[in-house]
Amino acid sequence: MKHTLFILQIFLFSIVFGQKKNTEKLQFEFEVDSIELHVGETKELTIKLLNEDGDLSKNSFYVFGQRRALSVSPRTSDSTGIATVTVKAHKPGRLRLSVQSITVKRDDRVRDKLVVNVPFPPIDHIVFNQTPRKLYTETSTSFSVEVIDEAGLTRENADVKLKSSNTAVADFDIFGNLETKRTGRVTVSATAEGVTEQYNIRVVKNPVRSVTLSAEKDEIRTGDVLVLNATALNRSDRAIDDAPITYSYIGQADYGKFGLPAAGLVTDDGRFIAETAGLYTLIASSGGYSAQKTIKVVPRNVQKKAKLVGHGLISDVLTSDLWVWAGVDKHEGKDFAVTGTWGSNGEAYFWDVTNPDSMIIIDTITVDARTVNDVKISEDGRVGVITREGASNRKNGFVILDVSNPYNVTISAEYNDDMTGGVHNVFIYENHVYAVNNGRKYDIINIDDPKNPFRVGVYEMDTPGHSIHDVWIENGIAYSSNWSDGVVAVDIGGMKFDEADRSQSQFNPLLAKAGQGSPSNPIKLAEMGDPTGRNHAAFPFLSKSTGNFYIVGGDENFPWGVRATRGEPSNPRGGFHFLNFTDPENPKEDAVYQVPEAGSHNMWIFGDVLIAGNYQGGLRIVDISGELLGDIYNQGREIAVYQSSHKEGKIPNAPMVWGAQPYKDYIFFADMNSGLYCIQLEDLEKGPGAP
Amino acid sequence: MKRLFLLVLIIIIGVSGLSAKDYYIYCTAESEDEVALIRFDGKTAHVEKRIPVGVWPVEIEGPHGITVSPDGDYWYLSMAHGLPYGHLYKYKTGTDEMVDRVELGLFPATMGISNATGLIYIVNFNLHGGHTEPSTVSIVDPEEMIEIDRVETGIMPHGSRLLNNGLKHYSVAMMSGMLYEIDAMTMQITRTISTAPPNKKMNAHSGHNMKKMDHSNMKMGKNKRMSNKDKKGIAAMGKMAMAKMDHKMPPEKPTWVYPHPNDNLIYVVNNGTDNVVEIDVKKWEVVRTFKTDKAPYNCEVSQDGKYLVVTYKGAAKTGVWDLKTGKEVAKLKNSRKVTHGVVISPDSRYAFVSVEGIGKEPGAVEVIDLHNLEKVAIAEIGKQAGGITFWKMTD
Repeated sequence: MKHTLFILQIFLFSIVFGQKKNTEKLQFEFEVDSIELHVGETKELTIKLLNEDGDLSKNSFYVFGQRRALSVSPRTSDSTGIATVTVKAHKPGRLRLSVQSITVKRDDRVRDKLVVNVPFPPIDHIVFNQTPRKLYTETSTSFSVEVIDEAGLTRENADVKLKSSNTAVADFDIFGNLETKRTGRVTVSATAEGVTEQYNIRVVKNPVRSVTLSAEKDEIRTGDVLVLNATALNRSDRAIDDAPITYSYIGQADYGKFGLPAAGLVTDDGRFIAETAGLYTLIASSGGYSAQKTIKVVPRNVQKKAKLVGHGLISDVLTSDLWVWAGVDKHEGKDFAVTGTWGSNGEAYFWDVTNPDSMIIIDTITVDARTVNDVKISEDGRVGVITREGASNRKNGFVILDVSNPYNVTISAEYNDDMTGGVHNVFIYENHVYAVNNGRKYDIINIDDPKNPFRVGVYEMDTPGHSIHDVWIENGIAYSSNWSDGVVAVDIGGMKFDEADRSQSQFNPLLAKAGQGSPSNPIKLAEMGDPTGRNHAAFPFLSKSTGNFYIVGGDENFPWGVRATRGEPSNPRGGFHFLNFTDPENPKEDAVYQVPEAGSHNMWIFGDVLIAGNYQGGLRIVDISGELLGDIYNQGREIAVYQSSHKEGKIPNAPMVWGAQPYKDYIFFADMNSGLYCIQLEDLEKGPGAP
Repeated sequence: MKRLFLLVLIIIIGVSGLSAKDYYIYCTAESEDEVALIRFDGKTAHVEKRIPVGVWPVEIEGPHGITVSPDGDYWYLSMAHGLPYGHLYKYKTGTDEMVDRVELGLFPATMGISNATGLIYIVNFNLHGGHTEPSTVSIVDPEEMIEIDRVETGIMPHGSRLLNNGLKHYSVAMMSGMLYEIDAMTMQITRTISTAPPNKKMNAHSGHNMKKMDHSNMKMGKNKRMSNKDKKGIAAMGKMAMAKMDHKMPPEKPTWVYPHPNDNLIYVVNNGTDNVVEIDVKKWEVVRTFKTDKAPYNCEVSQDGKYLVVTYKGAAKTGVWDLKTGKEVAKLKNSRKVTHGVVISPDSRYAFVSVEGIGKEPGAVEVIDLHNLEKVAIAEIGKQAGGITFWKMTD
């Protein structure tokens, strides 16, 4: 065997270096023009590399397919330029089998490819997503189906034909809606690739003879949800509960007909929300009958003035996250802040912000890192944690600080075990540090003694290619943001639900599921994926006004890539998604706050107010009280906007808000390009031009 | 006398003309998400261009490995951090415009291009986790930028180079202490060897066959991730238990491999034991050991086969070894800490060394004259200068 290998080596060596310069034109000849394989099937195929005379070129070549889709063996031809290979299909699709001659110079190489069609597995069955057995005449019902192939996978692109057996009774329109015309029986069929699923429907006379419509209010604000109560009645004024009702609206905006038209949203279940002020006529229809109600929509009028209280300019480096806390011991009564730095010298700046109009740096901690992305202070104001990325020895991790005297912060310990890939974000909760590291997991480190930290647990998803960005903890539940895996809630010691506890925190439905987890035994409670892969932040929100429980997911999205490293402002996009977890098993997105032409980054929720770092869109304070539905940005819910920038900023005159924290009567926030800010909300002065 | 003067003048002009070459180098700045193009004119190293790379402005993506295609038309860059997988990027030389990219494994790092197949062989370093899972070498078709195979090697594979004939690929695995040979054509591991010097070799590690490796008893196998239940048990063991990994990590921690231009010898840098071992390709055994300064990291052999240049990451120095005598003929102090990579010009005249620096300190590329064994120039680039590759020489 050794001998054979040796000969093969010599042989291949002679192929590569013994060949004369490839001045003649070579071409590949496949046994067939294309091949078709089913998943799991193999086929033998002969490939030749020919010279201009059509003879074997005496030049070897290699063959390869797409990884995990098409495998091939052997990968190389013999020295005459012929290969008989076995091709195996692993995935469906229009795949390529590639060949390339082996030469020293790239320009001499000849390449070609063969199309390998791997059809999708045959369809096994079709499932109707809705199967009404009885429909009323003069109604329209949307139909959709799910197509399952023999591999048990859902076929997304199947061409499904919906058909009615009696078009005089009911027929499909081109969008899959079944429109009923007269009474009778009809068989509905769904057919794809020869597989048919069908069931019978009875169309009966529509008994509806009138519709009533009412709502609790005649006047609402923009952004308020108005629930419409509509009932279809028969000749005897009895309610027909199964009669389908459709809702619509027409409106006349205060602004005028066209410039800012009456805009809103009405849902299938009769909830209406308006974006612009004006008069709206709401309509409920069933079986050709309708009722309407006109309401007035007035401006929400929540706007306030964001007044700058103070600014601590950082002009030589980019600023990252911040934390503000109350001093302890001899510093009781004073207030302090810490800010991180990004892509610089591994510094964290400590500020005295007791007088926010004159915030000053009082100490600096420098660690072996390029980026201190995150900074956190314990609830008791004594322990700080800063993260490390870009350490010179690549042993990243986090650093535990004693911040009881912010004028003389000291390092208690460094922790870098199994965190080589870098710690990007941390959270401190009940003497444990939750350190998001390596982009894959968070480790849970006990800091009862800050000088002797030790690991007690790890939480890592088990999805293929999972990745994590940040974690936030409240009431013993860790809310993490996980890019494509979206938001995930994990019990790390959630207080057990107590029915005698009437505090509003008990409205959090996740607490009802919690109580089994601990820092050393983190247990997943709920999750909701993000198909866009942009989930970058997660924050719990128990609505004070409705009791609804949301996890708000923040995007991060830079569609036009890097500009900051060129000293230019970046142009990100993104929004904050209100994911309703009131039913934790079936979370759904109710609303989104997305500023057009601005990015989204970190957030804080305080009461029923969202404080959003919108990168180049500045700091945004948003009213999120009441039921949330639709496009929050357009509903007049913005309380205030502050566009931070400075002519001497690291990137001058360019807002880039990282994140914020409400503290006492103020909002402190960090701007990547220009440092630490403090603002305060004030009532607007009434006068000409005031909203 | 006049003739003699003219002759001297002609010689001077000739010599100066010969030495008036421009050398072009690409070097990554890992904590700056940049690649620098440097031109060295024989006297001064100029930063011609700083090319921003990556797509996430507020995440460091970490450009790590870099190489230029044999024809000089393209350069390839590994971007280590991803979500979670890293990428291989393809750029056009000169214009430095991005052409394409392909997703690879966890923390793709060093790469080499085969002169036989034209394919790129790039290690997925995977420095994440407990350093218990073997990782892979990705094989990529650089024309279509598709990954065509992954070959499993050891834990934290690093260094990726091929013989000049392009038929064999070599990489080491830091936490396995092994050198792996892959047949570039069949894309299969053909041989392995412990990188420990002969007197320190453990029998269990010498030349074992990866195909026969049984990972089934490992705490965390390749496809078996820790469940949180498992982690609970581990957590209960406490601090000490977590510190103890089941895998016994050899002390060598090899970080680099480089073949001699004659293709008969391979040099492996043992970062953990401060030595470089010379391995005979045919005999497949360590034939010489060079005791180096602290924490050697990368190395390269000059094309004339005379010198082995080794970067000493821990000592902030660069060593030049005479391969004939086996002696270190020069040890040059670098301008800042954390000496990283090295590339030698094809004329064997200059060695270009990347030096990372610490914190906000700029990275640097330092030029060593291998004739006079002295440092002759330095160019400052972005933070954490790392992967370095030679593009071209021009007159």
